Parts: sequence; C-alpha cells; structure tokens
Amino acid sequence: MSQIIAKSALQELAAAWLAKGTYVAGPCRVKPDLISYAPVSAASELLLEPCRPANSIKEFFFPRHEKLYRYHVTNTGVELFDGEDGAVPQVVFAARPCDAAALPILDHIFNWDFPDRFYLARREATTVVTFACAESDEECFCSSVGLAPDSTCGSDVLLLDAGEGAYEVRCLSDKGRALFADRTQASDREGRSAAAPAPRFDAARIGAFAAAHFDDPFWAAHALPCLGCGACAYTCPTCHCFDIADEGANGSGHRVRNWDSCQAGMFTLHTSGHNPRSNQGARQRQRIYHKFHMYPAKFGEILCTGCGNCGRNCPAGLGVLPVISDIDDGKHL
Amino acid sequence: MTENIYKPDLMEVTGIRQQTSDVKSVRLRFLDPERARGFRFRVGQFGIFSAFGYGESVFNICSSSNWTDRIEFCFRRVGRVTEALWNVEEGEVIGFRGPYGNFYPMDEWEGKNLIFLGGGIAMPPIRCAIWYALENRANYGDITVVYGARTVADLVFVDELDEWAARDRVRVIRCVDPGGETPDWKGEIGFVPTVFERAQLPAADSVALVIGPPIMIKNTLPVLDRMGVSPSSIYTSLENKMKCGVGKCGRCNAGPVYVCKEGPVFTLEQIQSLPQDY
Repeated sequence: MSQIIAKSALQELAAAWLAKGTYVAGPCRVKPDLISYAPVSAASELLLEPCRPANSIKEFFFPRHEKLYRYHVTNTGVELFDGEDGAVPQVVFAARPCDAAALPILDHIFNWDFPDRFYLARREATTVVTFACAESDEECFCSSVGLAPDSTCGSDVLLLDAGEGAYEVRCLSDKGRALFADRTQASDREGRSAAAPAPRFDAARIGAFAAAHFDDPFWAAHALPCLGCGACAYTCPTCHCFDIADEGANGSGHRVRNWDSCQAGMFTLHTSGHNPRSNQGARQRQRIYHKFHMYPAKFGEILCTGCGNCGRNCPAGLGVLPVISDIDDGKHL
Repeated sequence: MTENIYKPDLMEVTGIRQQTSDVKSVRLRFLDPERARGFRFRVGQFGIFSAFGYGESVFNICSSSNWTDRIEFCFRRVGRVTEALWNVEEGEVIGFRGPYGNFYPMDEWEGKNLIFLGGGIAMPPIRCAIWYALENRANYGDITVVYGARTVADLVFVDELDEWAARDRVRVIRCVDPGGETPDWKGEIGFVPTVFERAQLPAADSVALVIGPPIMIKNTLPVLDRMGVSPSSIYTSLENKMKCGVGKCGRCNAGPVYVCKEGPVFTLEQIQSLPQDY
C-alpha cells in the first residue's frame, strides 16, 4: 500500500503552511521565460509540478548574501551584534531530487570542525519536499554521480506521479511526516518517475584524471570559451565558495558573506600580485578537481549531483559535462 | 545556540611599533578578561584581523605562545584593510579571529639545531618560533638565523635581532640585497641563499624553517639539500589567499588540502607531494 495525495490538494497544503507563518519557497515563473526557485507569499505562485528551475535550492540554506553580524564603532570602542541565523520554519516545496541531494553533501563542509550556525540552523528549520523527475534533458547526468530521478537523498518527502491526478507521497523523515500528516490517503497505486538518463561518464575516472593531470594543457584548451562569469557556480546546488566583506558607512555596518566562485580571476589573487591560478584553465581545473577528486577524498562524496545547471546556464556552452565527457572518452588519458 | 564562528574577539591595541616605512607590528589584548585567560595558541598558527568597516586580513600571530598576556601581528600597508589597520592608534579596538591552522612542531624539534631563514616581511612568522625556542633554550641545540631584505630600511624587528645575537649558541646573520646596503652597514651583502651557503653551517641534526618570497624559498632549498637537510626536516608556511580560515570558503585550496586547516605549516616533503597550486 502507498499513500497518495491529489494534485489539486498540494496548493491548499502550501497555503496552510503559509497561513501558519511558515516560509515557503519553490519553483515560480519569475519572468515569462524564466522559472526559478523563489520564496512565495501566496501558494498560487508555486509551480507545483516537476519542472526545471534555473537556480538551485541552496540559497534557502546558504543565501547569496548574508549578514554575519553587525558592528558599531563608537568613540569609546566597538560593539558587535549577532546576525539573524534565519532559523524560521521553512518548507522548500517541489524541489528536484538533484537539488535536495546537495544538502547532505554540503552538510560535511559546513559542519566539520567549525560548525557554521547559519547554514545548520536553516537546515534544521527546513523541510524539503521533492518531485521525482518526470523527464530528463540532454544536460541531466544524475545517474553518472550515483543518483537517480527518484533519489531520496536530502528529501523529507518525495512525491511521485501516480497518475489520475494524484501523487504518491513517500515520507522519509519525521519532519516530512509532520508536514503531510492527515493529508494523504492509502492507495494501491504506485508513483513513477522518469527513466534514469543514460550514464555519461565514470566519475571515479574523472577524479583520477584531475589528480594525475594537474598541469595538463588539456585544461587551458577546454577553458578557452570560458568567460569566468561564475554562472556555473552560482546555479550549482553544491558550489559553496564565499567571500567575506564589510558593508557600511559612518562606523556602522555589517560583516557579510557573499557567494563567490573559483572561476573568478581574483579568487586566489595574493596582495603581492602572485596568483596561483593565473589563467582560466587552472580555474576550470579547480572546479573539476574539487568536485571529483578533493571532496570525495575528504568527505567520501562527489561534490556534484548531476543536475546539469552548469551546462544549461553557461553562456559559452560549457559546464562540467563537455569537459568531463572529453576526459572520460579516453582521448586525454 | 551554536557559536557564531565568524564573529571576532574585540582586541585593544596596546602597542604599535613602526618597523619600516610601510610595516608595523601591533600588540593586542583581549577586552574580555575571560577570553584572555582561556586563550592559547601554538607558534606558527595564524589569526584573522579586522578593521571594522574595511574587512579582514590574515596574518601569522608573531608573538611567542609563552606570552599569555598579549598577541602580536605584523603587516605591510598595501591594501584597503592594511591601510585601515595602519591608521589604528593605541587604545583603539580591532577584531581578531583565531587561532587557526596547524603550527610548528616545536616538540618534535627538541634536541635539534634550528636554522631559521627569512626574507623581508617573512621575519614575523619566524620570530614567534625564535622567541619560543629561546624561552625553552635547554630543549634546542644551536640556533642560526639568516635574515635578509632588499635594503637596510626593509629589515624588521632589528632590535630583536641584536637581542638574539647576544644569546648563547645563537648566530644571527643579517644580509641585504646588493645595492641595498648603507655606508655603515655591518651585515652581509647578498641574497639569503648565497649568504647562507657561505656560512658553511654543519647540518647534522638540524631542522630548517624557511619563509620568504617564492624566489628566496626556491633558491634556498637546493642549499639545504646540499647541506644534507632532508625534505622532511625543512618547514615553510604557505600563504594561500583565505577568507574564512575555518575550511569553508574554498579559497585556500592547494590541490587536495585546505591550507587554513591542514596548513599553513608544511614540510618540504609534503609540499613536493602537492600540485603547484600555491
């Protein structure tokens, strides 16, 4: 037996969360030709069906811009005031499994040695409801990094299309069960997802190549079209690099962190002028090396969920897929 | 609630020494007495220093870990944050996060002769280890310090060099690049590696700490190698760009390591196994 919910009941459910003061975010048509995950004030703004937003859900845990604390410089000294940690109850609704899967992967970096309370508080306060994918496109490669269109990693609830206007509801955590309590009905219908995209590469080989070919001309050749704009990193569910800066005037302001990207030329620039990654090839290499070699070696997980956002959003037609496909086809091994 | 790891301690500036035309060392004390009592670090670790309204910069804690009433750091006025730090006066308050990173294995160095090789602004991260060794003098063998800068005016902690040189079994060799000397210069003229090789030190039972510009390090390593100091006994401190200092922001990666957590102190042997990403 499974539990199902009518598609028409989902909007009502989101409205009930909003009415209780819960923050709700999910896919919205923010422009006529752009679907993004965004916070909503009314349930009707949500696109409650499997779709492919241009961004990822990481910004509901690790915002693009975040105040870490406030400082106030007076004649007699300095006062510091803790920033909000953002720990308000939040539901991320209608996410893709490849977005949710990034969360357990990011938990490692935000929790080792020095726990990052901003991320962890949001993680604790957030329930993630995913839709199993109904289709994959040519940029999707979840099956190459150990995931699938119906992966449950990072989800509290997974919804699968059960036909006849209903979704199968698979509650995967207490938080998820609390969210859907008394909203589902028992059924003998099983939900289904899209077929997994055909595997595109062998991830272990990519990591090994990056480690063994650190100085290979391969990287520079592949980075030629790259503009260094960082669109790949900003829309990536797992990229988590950030900058820390001060914003303020007249002795009062905030220390903030902002998303950053290893694709930016100044990312590693020393004050002396020395730059360990002085060209785009080295910066492209870092992105692949970090995701497929360093992170797995340190934390046991690939820093990539195969969502394909880097490829869909790259203005130069790159993303990780063309680069790693070229590595994997053996031409460069 | 979990502590805010990005919020610094407030520190009062209790002393400023202008070392050169563009280098200052600054002495700090914790405003919070409890934090001051509980604070410990190991020489070689670094801190992140804040000028509020301007930002943060990363510097080695250049005081000895035996000095529990204060910490010191040293910087060159070269950018936005260091310009703001330059303008700080005694009694004013700045921020400090740390200590971060690993440290010089002073315990493992016990019983060894210590060779310190520094260039220019790299004296501060060596100075903390020298003072620590001098304060635990019986634990270490002969101490040699070779310190060079471009010109006489670029040498920092000059008065302390004299103080060290006056100690037993300490040899201090000062040098400036050719053309950087003054008429009354009593030290050597030449680059650190050359001057060091000329000194013909016995290398048995020695560890070396080498910090300076990449060209100095590059040219010093073959000299140490010819002397028979093994790569596992040669230490340096990497200076990758950092923002968070706590293994999150991704900036300091050098190949497979987070320099802020697994470094900044590495042996030459370790560095030889890293890809060229520093």
